[in-house]
Amino acid sequence: MSKRHYEDGDPAPRPSKRGRQPNIISSLSDELLLHILSFLPIPSLIVCQRLSCRFKALAEDSEIWKRHYYHRWIRPRLANVRRTVISHPEVRYSPNVSTWLDHGHLADEGRTMNWKGQYRLRHNWSKGICRVSEVEFSHPYGRSALVAFCAGIIFTVDRDYWLRAQSTKIPAYHLSEISLAKPRTPLVALPTALTAMVGSRPNTIEVVVGFEDGHFGIYNLDMATSALDFHTTCSGSTSGSITAIASLYPYVLLASDHKALSLFKITNDSDARSRSLPKEPALLSCLKADSTLEPLSISIRSVGSDIISSIVYSFYHVGCGWSLGIQELHFSLSELQQKCSRLTTTVDSQYGVCPPLGQIYSRIDMPCTWGATNIKSMRPAEPAIHHQETPTSVSYSHPYLITSHTDNTLTVYLVVSTSAGLYVKGAQRLWGHTSSVSAVQVSDRGRAVSVSSRGDEVRVWELETLVSAFGKQRARRHGNSIRVSPENRQSDASELRSSSPTKANALLRTAGVPHHLPDISGCIGFDDQRVLLLRGKGLDVHMLECYDFT
Amino acid sequence: MSATMLTFQSNDGVDITIARDVAERSVLIKNMLEDLGDTDEAIPIPNVNEAVLRKVIEWCEHHKGDPPSTGDDDDSRRKTTDIDEWDQKFMQVDQEMLFEIILAANYLDIKGLLDVGCKTVANMIKGKSPEEIRKTFNIQNDFTPEEEDQIRRENEWAEE
Repeated sequence: MSKRHYEDGDPAPRPSKRGRQPNIISSLSDELLLHILSFLPIPSLIVCQRLSCRFKALAEDSEIWKRHYYHRWIRPRLANVRRTVISHPEVRYSPNVSTWLDHGHLADEGRTMNWKGQYRLRHNWSKGICRVSEVEFSHPYGRSALVAFCAGIIFTVDRDYWLRAQSTKIPAYHLSEISLAKPRTPLVALPTALTAMVGSRPNTIEVVVGFEDGHFGIYNLDMATSALDFHTTCSGSTSGSITAIASLYPYVLLASDHKALSLFKITNDSDARSRSLPKEPALLSCLKADSTLEPLSISIRSVGSDIISSIVYSFYHVGCGWSLGIQELHFSLSELQQKCSRLTTTVDSQYGVCPPLGQIYSRIDMPCTWGATNIKSMRPAEPAIHHQETPTSVSYSHPYLITSHTDNTLTVYLVVSTSAGLYVKGAQRLWGHTSSVSAVQVSDRGRAVSVSSRGDEVRVWELETLVSAFGKQRARRHGNSIRVSPENRQSDASELRSSSPTKANALLRTAGVPHHLPDISGCIGFDDQRVLLLRGKGLDVHMLECYDFT
Repeated sequence: MSATMLTFQSNDGVDITIARDVAERSVLIKNMLEDLGDTDEAIPIPNVNEAVLRKVIEWCEHHKGDPPSTGDDDDSRRKTTDIDEWDQKFMQVDQEMLFEIILAANYLDIKGLLDVGCKTVANMIKGKSPEEIRKTFNIQNDFTPEEEDQIRRENEWAEE
């Protein structure tokens, strides 16, 4: 009887029932409501946040968003990875974060991770949605701009030779500044290179400034007090001006004009405090070069107990035009000496040849030189990738190596470095830009940002899926980059926003490029949240553009 | 030899006799029977009334042949809110009954039924505007208009 009552629902008594129990859904426990919400797609989940305070809190539940994050961003990658990695039984969502591919950096940051925020960030990257903010700064007379980006802080050296630190939070605000002339008055050498790295303690950033006369200075920024202090200086190993710096605390890798690569170790902060004067950084290793050409890229990474310094440089190869050479320098921390140096080039992969594992030619040459290469291998007559002009920029973040070219393309290589050898596995041209590409930057997680020389097009590339498809049918050739379209740039942003890259290009052609944008002169760098670009404005004024994806 | 028929008593004092394999769809009852051993007495189900208990039993009867749930946090079942036809018909009840079934399924630990119930509610939410959802479930809006507008703007990114 009563079953019938519920099923058929007597229309008369129901309103009175509702009157007594006005809000049945709210009588459910949080646990049950979360269970219901876990079945909802993201648009409905967002709508639920607008129902009431309680629903807002529940629909923002980090576990639900973590699950969505996993589904949207991790699970699709498993298909690619499973072919190379041992098949893992747990291919579905698992709360055990260790099974998450390459997302240790998210798990590390503790249980307070805002997964909804992470989802949104990832979503915005995938759609190219961001907000842009601009900071004007004057750079040293007649020199290229000196800008570094680390942990959300921008470091610049301006025309009065002041080192300044600025936060990238919107609105950007000034943190601290220090004159480079201070330790040795007046300034005898001009600054030529700048880099920044996270220091010995999590809240400090070490800034390395390289000078024209080969010496370099180290400054540190204490994020808690926003104070920028002079730490130490070092006369360097050669007298050539420092052209590039890479750093990984406490190591600093310098490339100088006179074709020398030197690895230094900064003395520990606590050691320095105990003495009246901080000790000079110690020279660990040095490498001389004979024939390298710009553009080059240097990087440093730590593998187990080794520090690997690498330099990527361009050279001209008769067969396939401009190619890249990669030299690795292994320094053992346990033995405190250089272990080996290895060399490879992209020539074979430009010919479409991948060396079989047994025949990896990586020379171990103790009298260290870089530049010359000996290549012998079976090759097709015509290279698949032929570059007539020098690349406009090179970026290497192991294992991704990427170059930008004036012919509207980028080329990506996968560098394999094992105990057995160093070689380049596969090469792939990337199409997407509609004009000459002037700069590119890549991160070790396979995200790359490239900019066109006219400054009208910024693209984000996700290289992981692409690299795993090397040597197979390139069906997705056009579909692997997204154009960055800031929501707040007045021009024709609304038309371009969130449309597919091809559609955006078509629109751009018909709508016409807004010509008020000055050239982009460089891509400074990017992290998980922001991209930092440098745009020339006048003769000696630059704009720093910060694209915020949060 | 364990008894094949068991008697349960709803919280409004009605005895219902069902087959043991049907009753064991409930993890709570299954564990209880393992702990207590065989019993001829009526087993009280204190949180569920007769009408709801009959509904729950109807579902268990229909699904007695289903493979037992794996018990771990199976992700694939969340991917879809599709409900099979029989379950859809079964869930065509008024809201009060629907939530009673969800509560009973949760209490009795019948994962399959709990999921069907929650999916039914999720389907009632899907594709609706906040105002429509509030009306459907009689939810009190305790935001100020400014707050609501703020939340809407914060989440514009997800509207595609």
